[in-house]
Amino acid sequence: MPEAATAVKTVELKILRYRPASDERPAFGSFKVPYTEDMSVLEALQTIKDTLDGTLSFRWSCRMAVCGSCGMMINGKPQLACNTLLRNLPPGPVTIEPLNNFPIERDLVVSVGDFVKKIESIYPYIIPKEPKTVAEGPYLQTPAQLAAYESFSDCINCMLCYAACPQFGENPNFIGPGAMALLQRYNGDSRDGGQQKRLDTIHGEDGVWSCTAVGYCSEVCPKQVDPANAVNQNKTNSAFDFFLRFLRPGGAR
Amino acid sequence: MDHIDADVLIIGAGGAGLRAAIAAAEADPSLTIALVSKVLPMRSHTVAAEGGSAGVIQAHDSLENHFNDTVHGGDWLCEQDVVEFFVERCTPELIQLEHWGCPWSRKPDGQINVRAFGGMKIERTWFAADRSGFHILHTLFQTSTKYPSIKRFDEYFCIDLLIDDGRAQGATVFSPSTGEFTAITARAVILATGGAGRVFRQNTNGGIVTGDGMALAYRHGVPLRDMEFMQYHPTCMPGTGILFTEACRGEGGHLLNKDGYRFLQDYGLGPVTAEPRNKTMELGPRDRLSQAIWQEERKGRTMTTPAGESYVHLDLRHLGAAKLKERLPLICDLAEEFMGIDPATAPIPVRPAVHYTMGGIEVDIRTATTLAGLYAAGECSSVGIHGANRLGSNSLGELTVFGHVAGDEAVKFAKGAPAAQGGKLLDQAKASAAKVLGLRDQKGGGERHAVLRKEMATTMEKGCGIYREASEMQKTCDKLAELKRRYRDITLEDRSSVWNTDWICAVELGYQLDVAEAVAYSALMRRESRGAHQRIDGFEKRDDVNFLAHSLANYRDGAAPEISYGPVKITKSQPGERAYGALGEALEAKEASHA
Amino acid sequence: MSERRPYRRPMSPTWWANPPYRAYTLRELTGVAVAIYGLVLFFGLVCLALGPGAYDGYLAFLRSPFSIVLHLLLLAAMVYHVVTWFETLPKTQPKLIVDGKPFPAKKMTDIAIKVGAGCSLVLLLIAIWVGR
Repeated sequence: MPEAATAVKTVELKILRYRPASDERPAFGSFKVPYTEDMSVLEALQTIKDTLDGTLSFRWSCRMAVCGSCGMMINGKPQLACNTLLRNLPPGPVTIEPLNNFPIERDLVVSVGDFVKKIESIYPYIIPKEPKTVAEGPYLQTPAQLAAYESFSDCINCMLCYAACPQFGENPNFIGPGAMALLQRYNGDSRDGGQQKRLDTIHGEDGVWSCTAVGYCSEVCPKQVDPANAVNQNKTNSAFDFFLRFLRPGGAR
Repeated sequence: MDHIDADVLIIGAGGAGLRAAIAAAEADPSLTIALVSKVLPMRSHTVAAEGGSAGVIQAHDSLENHFNDTVHGGDWLCEQDVVEFFVERCTPELIQLEHWGCPWSRKPDGQINVRAFGGMKIERTWFAADRSGFHILHTLFQTSTKYPSIKRFDEYFCIDLLIDDGRAQGATVFSPSTGEFTAITARAVILATGGAGRVFRQNTNGGIVTGDGMALAYRHGVPLRDMEFMQYHPTCMPGTGILFTEACRGEGGHLLNKDGYRFLQDYGLGPVTAEPRNKTMELGPRDRLSQAIWQEERKGRTMTTPAGESYVHLDLRHLGAAKLKERLPLICDLAEEFMGIDPATAPIPVRPAVHYTMGGIEVDIRTATTLAGLYAAGECSSVGIHGANRLGSNSLGELTVFGHVAGDEAVKFAKGAPAAQGGKLLDQAKASAAKVLGLRDQKGGGERHAVLRKEMATTMEKGCGIYREASEMQKTCDKLAELKRRYRDITLEDRSSVWNTDWICAVELGYQLDVAEAVAYSALMRRESRGAHQRIDGFEKRDDVNFLAHSLANYRDGAAPEISYGPVKITKSQPGERAYGALGEALEAKEASHA
Repeated sequence: MSERRPYRRPMSPTWWANPPYRAYTLRELTGVAVAIYGLVLFFGLVCLALGPGAYDGYLAFLRSPFSIVLHLLLLAAMVYHVVTWFETLPKTQPKLIVDGKPFPAKKMTDIAIKVGAGCSLVLLLIAIWVGR
């Protein structure tokens, strides 16, 4: 189609495609869609799917950066497609790839099962310090006690931090930033008494010690969770625990 | 085809589904609970709820107040015994969430903090900043991992229910990841699949909110109740429909027209006061506010975006940057990221968008549907607490209260029911798999389903919007019939089996068209104005003589739904005039002096 | 049979040399400057033990243009390392809550840099005073 003939401004998206039934390996495909000022990358992808190529697959839902579905590499950076607006990207084609460091299931859809298992592995629930019945009412928690873990509780599980982490890329078994943020969310909660139990899950190479404090995970986090902080403060905890276990009764095993 | 047998099958793992799963696991740890969700549970749309969840906690508040606010707010179309049951259980459920770790916002002394909400007489909305639904969902999901009897089927898409011997006994599910089908049989089934707001063009809902469970139950003869009551939320982003929580107004935000005038005072919601006043002005209910914005548009007192969407201003500037950051951080982020606006220095353009499906699968106070062994909870159900207009912060409470009930009731039923028999059910599962495979592989007439989806959303908005008239609703009904015909002849571009989202969207569109039809016909048949159903074609008044009744849409294969009516349970509150602002206060004072 | 066939993309072998990881790689590499400077000092100690001749030779080496350039490079590397390390510092410790609110990371870094610079200055003054 001769572009000059249409007055509509367009934007080009170069998308890494992979269809397991037919493709040996991923390869880029290019699409042009009409551009509007308020268009997000997600809306551009939806336009492609609805009007140009229905076979393009990607996850999405809330469109407002809270469900965590639409993480992808946009111009090489892990970002949510829904709150990345085309107007904020440099001019020229936009490169879109599935999240780094995860196996690609198809197109922009990556495997999420291992990530969910990591979340489940760190006892992601309150292990009450002092059990209480509902009839006894809520626990007290001051704003300062809330602030001690609040930012970690804001994690939307979008996995951008994993795509940002070269150590996770090298070692897929590394527990990684997101799950550690969740661990710290509970360990830092004044109602919780499960710190030791969780600490026991994170020693060693697959625990916190794969982290080399690159810090990029916190930079790409769309919710300012600061997972790097969660990982690194737990290196200290893990190290202390290693030495202190010899002092605990029955600790050294 | 794989076959898995469970005791209780729950479809949907948002707030209601997760709460039901936990309740079932606690009720009897020896039972197997299969929890199916078409997305990872934390992607469920509960995640997007912002403002908070109502529960009486202040000394000067009472359950009776919460009851009255809810019933008046629902324009007396509520099941009053259910509302009474509901308001009693809200606070214990919120405390339970607190014990499970929900990071509720606190007062300086560490007590739970509450905020004001539209249509609520006393502040009783528990909140976790403006991410209340997000925190409730994540708390429930994370807590659910503690129970070994809950077997999750994440990213499994439900294509049909399995029904035999007059009982729901399972479902056929499909894994987009492997492309394979599984029959899950069970002794009791809970639907917790959420609403259907995506049938409208401009809406606050996530892409997954496609009415799946509603359509599945409906196709199997379970009525959809009160479907004409679709809630428009007054403050949404023009274009995308992204939600700006009611808490913006609860915290003291103002709505202004193009002249900077607080126009709500012209619509029976005044007087204007310096400090926010409950049930007055911006703290009026959602239906009235959305209607007022529509009226302002008619009067030419709104503004228009470059894309042609009209809007008014949500002004938060006077709240100050510090309070905005503490109480409404998500709102600040959304305004900044999507619109380049700092709410501390500029008003936010907003307009009404479809937000919530107040009707749904008809269930009783125990969440039981008319089909034995089938339960429903949350937005997909109509348990009767919302009536003709839901009050903000009653839906998160509904998830937990009735999710809990559904879990308990399903366990009770499962223990008394014989184990599901494979044979016949597996045949059904194979037949339903063949049917959706047929949709994938059919040659069709070459039309894309995306085209149909757009036309559906447009016609729904046109015919069943904030104000309705018979001629437009009839056109919508006719259009939906046409779309259903064209749907049978669509052609999918994608015939592969792994992560074929083209296919899943097409199946979802089938669900949406059925639910849309239930909405449109229920609306057409209700010849009165009540709550969110407002007519401007000679039926502007509420008609208690003929329509103090629940509409029931009954599915008819290949034909328009049949609309019948069921009684409304009235216990304590006789239908009266529904008023807010000064008039509302006067009426309340009069009522109090009678009592 | 499922057509599922997840594809694992290999990591680029030069990921560490390119943005956004280049700054991190530099931070880690500049840590080597400390080791090099330690070696220089250790060499001085060895010379001291070997007798006055060797030690004079060591002092002459320190005064050579090569040594001065080396020390300037080492100093630049050290400063980079220290600053970037202080930028990482807030991530390595428990959340500091002051007046019920998290203490801003940037402030923590600023304070650490100021304290570090102050200590260096005091050390320098002591060195100048001792070496009078």
